[in-house]
Amino acid sequence: MIEALLEGLVLVLQWKALGFMMLGVLLGFWVGLLPGLGGATTLALMLPFIYTMQPVEAFAFLLGMHSVTATTGDITSVLFGVPGEASSAATILDGHAMAKKGEAGRALGAALASSLVGALIGALALAAAVPVVRPLVLTFGSPELFMLAIVGLAFIASLSSHGGRGMLRGFLAGALGLFFATVGQDPQAGVARYTFDTLYLWQGLDLVPVLVGIFAIPEILELVARGTSIAGQLPAGKLTRGAFEGVKDTFRHFWLTIRCSLIGTFIGIMPGLGGSVAQWMAYGHAAQSAKTLEERKGFGAGDVRGVLGPGAANNSKEGGSLIPTIAFGVPGSTAMAILLGGFVLLGIVPGPDMLSKYLTLTYSMVWTIVIANVVTVIICFAFLDQLARLTTVRGGVLVPLILVLVFIGSYTSNNHYGDLIVTLVFGAVGYFMVLAGWPRAPFVLGLVLGKIAENYLYISVARYEMAWLTRPVVLALVGIAIAVILYPLYQARRRSAHA
Amino acid sequence: MHRNASLGLAIAVMLLAGYGIFAASSWPAKAALFPLAIGIPLFALAAAEALWTLFGAPPARQALSDLEPTAEPAAQRRIAIAAGWIFAFFAAVVLLGFPIAIPLFLFLYLKLQGGEGWALSIGITVVVSAVFYGLFEALLHLPFQAGWLFSWLGFG
Repeated sequence: MIEALLEGLVLVLQWKALGFMMLGVLLGFWVGLLPGLGGATTLALMLPFIYTMQPVEAFAFLLGMHSVTATTGDITSVLFGVPGEASSAATILDGHAMAKKGEAGRALGAALASSLVGALIGALALAAAVPVVRPLVLTFGSPELFMLAIVGLAFIASLSSHGGRGMLRGFLAGALGLFFATVGQDPQAGVARYTFDTLYLWQGLDLVPVLVGIFAIPEILELVARGTSIAGQLPAGKLTRGAFEGVKDTFRHFWLTIRCSLIGTFIGIMPGLGGSVAQWMAYGHAAQSAKTLEERKGFGAGDVRGVLGPGAANNSKEGGSLIPTIAFGVPGSTAMAILLGGFVLLGIVPGPDMLSKYLTLTYSMVWTIVIANVVTVIICFAFLDQLARLTTVRGGVLVPLILVLVFIGSYTSNNHYGDLIVTLVFGAVGYFMVLAGWPRAPFVLGLVLGKIAENYLYISVARYEMAWLTRPVVLALVGIAIAVILYPLYQARRRSAHA
Repeated sequence: MHRNASLGLAIAVMLLAGYGIFAASSWPAKAALFPLAIGIPLFALAAAEALWTLFGAPPARQALSDLEPTAEPAAQRRIAIAAGWIFAFFAAVVLLGFPIAIPLFLFLYLKLQGGEGWALSIGITVVVSAVFYGLFEALLHLPFQAGWLFSWLGFG
């Protein structure tokens, strides 16, 4: 095994494979920065180019590109409040708040360092788990995946403010997200729900236009209202000084980073949950780590732990989602489904052969994830000064540029004007939520998990009727969901007892 | 401002949930189950929020509420103007298509709204348009629809 691991490294370091990986990293770097143009889309666009490549070169190219998009996606989230990827939206809450306080460098440093830790843990999990993951994946059928979605929804309690009113608004926002998740053709009877006879809405609301609207439009309006740069009138020197501080934050909260990385890996391994879920669960877990009331109030207002959690989970999920793809040919996400197409194009069948005949290739993928992320983080740190200075650019110059980014990002989701309308509508919804003091994070969690929950509930009932409720893992997950909801209440009670 | 906005939003959500429940009541049970299971609690939660806003004490500073909206009249005027620009950009994209709307919007915003000089306005417009063309059209061949105006005139 060690021999195969080293052989995998040697293969990836061959000049041709390394060259293709660097090309992939370069492409992925920019794709991550551009909202809407996601890693999955670019993988699909680049698939035809791998026909003439050797398998190691092809996967170095594709995985190199894909594994860095989550890292650079955090950059626009932190700097402009525009999610570069659907899976980097949670970083906005605290990362952009830090940028507005003149701590863009620290936020970027934390996002990059935690992303690297997450990617390494994901890669490590991939290397270690391939031989033993089969029982885990087979334990999780539709009932367990439904309950996992419910556990995710339970994190709404952590994403809400403290107190009864905060919880009410959190669950209200979450329910609103769940409601919008029902738009589109239903999975059972095929009824077009809330589509207003519009073909565009039959497939439901796409996540990217909604996320871009709900986060970016209010940020733009607020930037215009303030009439300053993102970092306000803060001196430029302060912005980048904290980059190393951000790295130190990662190690200061190392166990939180590790835990969030493991959450990301686990969500990645579970086929069908999708990468967008991991960041919110990790954010919810990070918010739970607040020990005092003051600390808790800091989440959403620029607590670095709110950057570390999603940053780590985002990248670790990639290694995780590769596990079922390689081991069983069951893709853990859309991007992995496209990567599966790459396997087919190259004449490789995922499955047991990947653990015997192609073991070296499997480990070359692990090394690709590691090297691509290390290279990206080094490149990002080299340009951190310039990146952080973008927050001092005048609002009058920045606003039209961000708007162009927002419109292109939204439109490229489906290449349909409907995407732009969705962005504008949810931009208005997001702005009014901000005005009303309603949290936006639970809304997104509800939207992300709604469709997943409904699909798996339907399959569970159709397959097992009510007997699915008695499955041991389901019962354990019910317990976890209850614990996740009650924990913030317990924390609040303990805090008031101490006060 | 929080109070009025929250009340308005809660009423809007109640209307939305009410419509959702009404529409779902005519669907087959399988299709209606989930919308009803969410719509009814959504209506109840929105009603509770509206009542709490009307009769309860104002909430303390909200953690996790991220942005702090500005209430000054001048700021609100600026927001209204910005919203106008956003809709104008949307209209330009739909009518003229991205390749024309992007340079047009950038230049006009920078010059008229931003009050920037000619050199900066033209420079940014040219660079962004070149990046747009080079990346999205030449390299990635992403399909950007022609503007409706061109379709109406028979050029689409």
